[in-house]
Amino acid sequence: MEKIIELQDVSKTYFLGKIKVEVLKGITLGINKKDFALILGPSGSGKSTLLNMVSCLDIPTSGKIKLEGKDVSKLSEDELAEVRGKKIGFVFQQFNLLTHLTALENVIIPTIFQGIPKEEREKRARDLLSSVGLQERMDHRPKELSGGECQRVAIARSLANNPEIIVADEPTGNIDSKTGEMIMNILKDLNEKGRTIIVVTHDTELQKFANKIIKIKDGEIDDK
Amino acid sequence: MTSEYLKIALKNLRSRSLRSWLTILGIVIGIFLVISLLSLSEGLKKSVMNELQMMGGDMVMVFPGDVSDMMTLMMGGVELDNRDIEAIRRAEGVEVVLEMPFSAVIARHFQETETAMIYGIDLNEGLYVLRENVGWDVVDGSFPRSGRREVMVGNLVPKNIFPDLVVGDSIVIKGKEFFVTGILRSLGNQQDDSAIALDLEDFRDVTGKREGTPVAMAKVKAGYDPDLVAENIERELESSVIKRRNEDSPAFSVMTSETVTDMVASIMGVLQAAVIAFASIAIVVGGIGIMNTMYTSVKERTKEIGILKAVGARRKHIIAIFLFEAGIIGLIGGVGGVSLGILLAFLAETILSGSGGMFYLEAHISVWLVLFGLAFSFIVGCLSGFFPAKQAAKLEPVDALRYE
Repeated sequence: MEKIIELQDVSKTYFLGKIKVEVLKGITLGINKKDFALILGPSGSGKSTLLNMVSCLDIPTSGKIKLEGKDVSKLSEDELAEVRGKKIGFVFQQFNLLTHLTALENVIIPTIFQGIPKEEREKRARDLLSSVGLQERMDHRPKELSGGECQRVAIARSLANNPEIIVADEPTGNIDSKTGEMIMNILKDLNEKGRTIIVVTHDTELQKFANKIIKIKDGEIDDK
Repeated sequence: MTSEYLKIALKNLRSRSLRSWLTILGIVIGIFLVISLLSLSEGLKKSVMNELQMMGGDMVMVFPGDVSDMMTLMMGGVELDNRDIEAIRRAEGVEVVLEMPFSAVIARHFQETETAMIYGIDLNEGLYVLRENVGWDVVDGSFPRSGRREVMVGNLVPKNIFPDLVVGDSIVIKGKEFFVTGILRSLGNQQDDSAIALDLEDFRDVTGKREGTPVAMAKVKAGYDPDLVAENIERELESSVIKRRNEDSPAFSVMTSETVTDMVASIMGVLQAAVIAFASIAIVVGGIGIMNTMYTSVKERTKEIGILKAVGARRKHIIAIFLFEAGIIGLIGGVGGVSLGILLAFLAETILSGSGGMFYLEAHISVWLVLFGLAFSFIVGCLSGFFPAKQAAKLEPVDALRYE
């Protein structure tokens, strides 16, 4: 299978004042195209930092990250932004919607930075919101929406630039289990339509959706 | 693209409307000061220069008092008396001397009574100088003649003071009836255009003042250099005063029309520079206000910046969003300031001209001044927003997303 993301001996070290904190300690892994990968680990295991690496939000202290065969571990911040904008869609635990914008405007935002023409932007956003069942709620602001609805807006937003990869950080963390199930099913559905999905969670229940489980503990892959 | 940033910026401003408006107010005050003061000083300059430019080159003006003491000069009180006029007349190269005393009186036209400015000119000896050298002309009727109680009026008299006054009507001043024979073409400023011109004899008669004029004009004989004639006049005045009053430093200002123009232009220039300097301080303060607001905004919106970066915004996009926001604050402030400034300028104009034309100030608002006000406020906004915007763009997406 073709690897869409490859990590080779990736480490990330932070300095808290003068104290050196090694969050990731030489992680090597690969995620195939059309995988539904679950990065599983307890809090403090380094799984969020790992997610930042695979989603091009941050670069490693050492090691190499390849996205579709291209080395992205030394890119500048603007180059990373470009890669994120084109290839990666984000779904966050806190939804991270812009509160003063409507659902529709939130979905349009990523397309603006890619220079997509106005008519197409709006049509795309409407279609995406309809596809997650929010055709009636497009003009509502996030505070007028339920948690599940917010997360569906976020999923629609993550798809705005038609990315290969969807990265979700604890997507079910802030919603009830039934809604969580629905969100995971939407992701599963996207996976079946050909997208690579990477979900970070501490919730072992979610394993049933994934075809690949990466367990992480204390900054290392847990092979047991 | 630009319109999208504009929309985002506007939405952001609206979601913090109180603070946005307060910041805008800071700019409004600055621009308001610039526009109102500049339009009034420009108007003042224009009307003074207009009047001066109508004067030909071969005229010499004589004022009592030292010209460096502008207040004394303008507020009057000091006058040239008949012996001073005689001294000027004696000077070599002077063809004729014109006194131009003026006064405010109550005048009546049919049933209507108004305060009006009158001034006296020697219709026999002086009128031709005004016609030939200063460019006076009548738009209706003819010039009045001496000894017949004839007068002419400025072109604004039939408009502002006595509506429906026509040539041939009579005006009663201090119980004496005068006939209006002509209406003067505009002299370039409202004060003169709102005045009534009497023969000097009639003026003396009506006001009861037998001598004295706040200003005299001497026409230079053909072939003489105005500067040399000015020196001659100065000498004559000096010797006359020393003889009479035993003073050793007589204070007169003798100037050719050219010197007067230069002097007024430089005074006005200094005045406008001072106006701009003071108003700039207000604008700088407004700019600091914008900067403060924008820094706070960057801090508050750290998470939002993180989200925008996560979904693909580059540094330039973030900078554009924040610069637009600051620029819009500036521009809205500019629109408010320009409107208020124009309003105040016109208000000042109306109130001052309501005093019967005694003091007249014209607000001069050019398209350029308005455009300057708007562009300046937008630029101040953008400049103030520059550093906050850079700070926002510099944020690391990972840190910004974690920020609560």
